[in-house]
Amino acid sequence: MAHLRLTGLTKSYGSVHALRGVDLEIEDGEFFVLFGPSAAGKTTTLRVIAGLEKPDSGTLVVDGHDLAGVPVKRRDMAMVFQSFALYPHLTTYQNLAYPLREMKLRRREIDTRVRETAELLRITHTLERKPASLSGGEQQRLAIGRAIIRSPRLFLFDEPLTNLDAKLRHDMRAEFKRLHREIGTTTVYATPDQLEALSIGERVAVIQHGRITQIDTPDALYAEPVDRHVASLIGDPPINLVKGTLKAQGGNVGPAIELPFMELDGSRWREGLQALDAGTELLVGIRPHDLALVDEGGAGVPATIEITEPQGDITILDLKAAGVPLRMVVAEATGARYAAGDSVRIALAGADTQLFLSDSGTMVA
Amino acid sequence: MARKRREIGKAGWRRTAVSTVISFIYFFPVLWIILTAFKSHTDALSTPPKFIFTPTLENFASVFARAYERGGAAVDTHFDLFFFNSIFIAGASVGVALVIGTVAAYGFSRWPLRGNETYLFIILTTRMLPPIIVIIPIFIMFRLSGLSGSYVGIILLYAAFNLPFTIWMMKSFFDEIPREVEDAARMDGSSEMKIFFRICLPQVKAGIAATAVFGLILTWNEFLFALLLTGRDTRTVPVAMAQTIGGDIGVRWGLLAAIETLFLIPVVIVTFLLQNQLLRGVTFGTIKR
Repeated sequence: MAHLRLTGLTKSYGSVHALRGVDLEIEDGEFFVLFGPSAAGKTTTLRVIAGLEKPDSGTLVVDGHDLAGVPVKRRDMAMVFQSFALYPHLTTYQNLAYPLREMKLRRREIDTRVRETAELLRITHTLERKPASLSGGEQQRLAIGRAIIRSPRLFLFDEPLTNLDAKLRHDMRAEFKRLHREIGTTTVYATPDQLEALSIGERVAVIQHGRITQIDTPDALYAEPVDRHVASLIGDPPINLVKGTLKAQGGNVGPAIELPFMELDGSRWREGLQALDAGTELLVGIRPHDLALVDEGGAGVPATIEITEPQGDITILDLKAAGVPLRMVVAEATGARYAAGDSVRIALAGADTQLFLSDSGTMVA
Repeated sequence: MARKRREIGKAGWRRTAVSTVISFIYFFPVLWIILTAFKSHTDALSTPPKFIFTPTLENFASVFARAYERGGAAVDTHFDLFFFNSIFIAGASVGVALVIGTVAAYGFSRWPLRGNETYLFIILTTRMLPPIIVIIPIFIMFRLSGLSGSYVGIILLYAAFNLPFTIWMMKSFFDEIPREVEDAARMDGSSEMKIFFRICLPQVKAGIAATAVFGLILTWNEFLFALLLTGRDTRTVPVAMAQTIGGDIGVRWGLLAAIETLFLIPVVIVTFLLQNQLLRGVTFGTIKR
């Protein structure tokens, strides 16, 4: 159990700035996800928390104690590495027993705990084998086992599912949730996969270029991204960002945004738009799920289908409307009726449209 | 896989024939020496050379047991001592080089110094010049320090010779170990000492074996420095072998061949015992695991 506070952490490797001031607060018992593209600073953040890396500046406080100068082995944390980092020359049993032997537990107790943990993770049948002869999933579970076996106060997971195949990844996501429910230890989980981040995180921090850009619940990240970068990182297929201009407003005329293919009512953003001049460049974020096909002759704007990407249950349509590329999602049955080159009419159907300033990319509330 | 095996089987007899011929040519000098070792003195000298003869063990007997005549006097060959010397000196010097070299290599790999590459290069340069260039200063140094003719002297010298490539080879083996494994051990509460002994060292076992074999063979065969720097009691087999040549009887080919045959055996044994480790060591890092 641990409460973590990171303040202004920075870390550079030569001229590469891995962390440019990371501030985080992680509650006791929380499953906290650190989400960001590769090389954003996720691993470095975890390694700094673990003590494997010394920050250039900033503080790390756990349960009220500043951890600066506290060596790795006295931090009582466990980490699962992206490469699993199993001890290749030791058997599953010895791998699991290793941290316990370092704790100088008695042989009897070690044996009990090793067997319990192996049972919990369903790797009992591999106890006498070496990591190289285990399947990817078994290696993964062994790596988790080695972390949970000594009941540390904090878990650090560094992209633990990246090296697994898609099916296994899905199963393991559920496994992580189950484990966390059973053990309840504070967990920091780094991942570059938005699906993973949204599905298992209680709270998610988005990290980009060594900075945290947003910390929120998965729902809030999707609905209210702070800027266009967060918006485009979350959601699959990614959000459509369309350039637009603010039209003149005032008096009885509400704000409106001129898009190449339509005019968008801006009254939802009235407060945010008030301060802006007419002609301000904006970016309109339209989720692919919020676009709908409408009947010929109905409302909506004309578009041409460029590519259809059937996904099984749904089909992604790549469209062009007034020269602007757009992506939308339709049901497979609907998608099957269309082919590249077809002309369709589309309309904005959902209410999740987001508005960002074009120059800074920040969201207009 | 199955198809590949069948193809090899099909073309087998031709390939086997070719490789047999090539192997025979390569192996012929060794074969000749082994044959000669079992020949009597007259058989060994006969022209044309004999391939069919009555084998005798008298040469082997005279290597150790029988004193042989030189100018009528009985002289003990001392070859039991020389074989012991060769084994002891090669083993000890390779052992010393491995202990120092492995620790140094781990240091170079994991705790690089400022100018790490330069240090490594300097270490390598000591092996670049032909040994004969430095033999005179080394000879004088050994004379002055009293190391000449002692076990300590020649063992230190061979250890120093083995050290550069021990460091280079072992460093490449350590470089291959993913650092995350060490970080995992650190998280699990291991001290740096334990990480080295319990995590890293077991993973480079194959590398240590490969390095040891190369070092042993190199040291085992060394002649030049042994000739100049060993004394009567510390003489190694290659030097002693050369010194059997000459005297009234001329070259005793049978005796020489017997010594050479015996000299070959430890190399074969070591290589055979370590062949699995050796192969793993040589191919280390060539296959992504």
